[in-house]
Amino acid sequence: MSLLTLIIMIFVIGIVWGGLVFFLTKAIKFEKNKSNVQE
Amino acid sequence: MKQQEFFSSRWALIIATLGIAVGTGNIWRFSRIVAQNGGGSFLIPWVIFLLLWSIPLIIAEFAIGKYSRLGPIGAIGKTAGKKFAWMGGFIVIVSTAIMFYYSVVTGWCLYYFYSSLTGNLLSHSNHLQFWNEFSNSYFPILFHLIAISIVSIVVMKGITYGIEKVSKILVPVLLLILIGLFFRAITLPNSIEGIKYFFTPDLNMLLDYKVWLNALTQNAWDTGAGWGLIMTYAIYMRKKEDISLNASLIAFGNNSISLIAGITIFSTVFALSSADAIEQISQSGPANTGLTFIYLPLLFTKLSASTFINSVFASAFFLALFFAALTSLISLIELATRTLIDFGLVRKKAILIVSSLGIILGLPSAINNSFLINQDWVWGVGLILSGYFISFSIIKFGVDKFREQIINGIGSDFKVGKWFNFVIKYLIPFQAITLLIWWLGSSISWDPQWLNPFRTENFGTVIFQWGTVIIALLALNNFLYKKSFGD
Repeated sequence: MSLLTLIIMIFVIGIVWGGLVFFLTKAIKFEKNKSNVQE
Repeated sequence: MKQQEFFSSRWALIIATLGIAVGTGNIWRFSRIVAQNGGGSFLIPWVIFLLLWSIPLIIAEFAIGKYSRLGPIGAIGKTAGKKFAWMGGFIVIVSTAIMFYYSVVTGWCLYYFYSSLTGNLLSHSNHLQFWNEFSNSYFPILFHLIAISIVSIVVMKGITYGIEKVSKILVPVLLLILIGLFFRAITLPNSIEGIKYFFTPDLNMLLDYKVWLNALTQNAWDTGAGWGLIMTYAIYMRKKEDISLNASLIAFGNNSISLIAGITIFSTVFALSSADAIEQISQSGPANTGLTFIYLPLLFTKLSASTFINSVFASAFFLALFFAALTSLISLIELATRTLIDFGLVRKKAILIVSSLGIILGLPSAINNSFLINQDWVWGVGLILSGYFISFSIIKFGVDKFREQIINGIGSDFKVGKWFNFVIKYLIPFQAITLLIWWLGSSISWDPQWLNPFRTENFGTVIFQWGTVIIALLALNNFLYKKSFGD
């Protein structure tokens, strides 16, 4: 696998799957905070 | 009171909306377009337009739906002003026209799942012949009826007991199947060649404007942004529900699933195919069915020596495709139903009208593939105009006021910055107009009879069908506006 392919792979997967994980973590955190406030 | 139901939680809303976004376009169209546009070279603009088209429009749709609590006609009328309710009408017509033939496509997926399960599909050696025999039989009509009937029952049960409940089952099962197929595909011998091709860029192709336009089109068509569907589900968001974080999660989730599907298909094709792998992935075939309905069934027969195992994988693939189509069809039918509910009808009556129309007006596409291709062309391009109308309505409302009061208002977990103003005011209109000029301009060059409105895919048929719809909507504008507020 060439270096360029590896860079594109990291760029695409990093942004798309990384973005998903980032926003998912945030959403879980906010939901947890909201349920703590309600309790 | 029209507003009675809400999605029970943030996760219920996200799962249902992900069901809208993830459709056959992620599994079926994405791989073909990647192959046609130089693999990794396509993925770079595809990621960029996720940020510049999909996410801002999904945020916009969520916000308009939550603010107006009305289907697209009332929503656009309330946001942009009374004079522009016809734009909401155009969004409804485009999505409803897509629903008519999408139900036929959903039926195809169900039929192929059924044929895989019975072993009938993989026992055939000529899959083009299998497809031709199927499309010339009564099965497309029968399975179109089955698809629309299943969805009508779901939508009739409403949001909590229908759409939410079904999405909570179908979407996770779809994800599990895709992840299972993904791991099987990447562990096949030689699958690394497919992954390499998928990510290797042809830098010269990055300079080709067509690659960029195809990447934008893919985002416009497969994320559900600009269709009015997310706007419709947003009617049922709880008052204290966030907009921007949920929208981003759905957009990234949708494109993540496209990546999983793309890697799976490229790995499978390169592992099991001969030297013509790329040609096979790129080819459109009849009604763009080549890869999915003709070539992949052939590859499933080569997966292992066991016919049973091959049938299990083929069944799983077509079940995933069917679930992806079904959850999108649910939202298309809900959009039309919600419009009639706004007009004062009860849900039961509205769904009966919508499903009857869906059955009748889907028949030409079930009988004739050319009719389906025509509708896919006319209303597929129409989605770009729908996206523009959504940004237009926010511009009329006042972008900064919209961002501050609605997006960053009650329930917001994640504040959207001023970048949103620039994207909605300038970038979305620029992208939409560029795409429209490109697609319609290209259609003039590919048909010598480009003005003839009765051709399958040309300029004339788009202008004729859009023109008829827009003139009728303009004439009915005031009536539609009043009706959508229940007057």
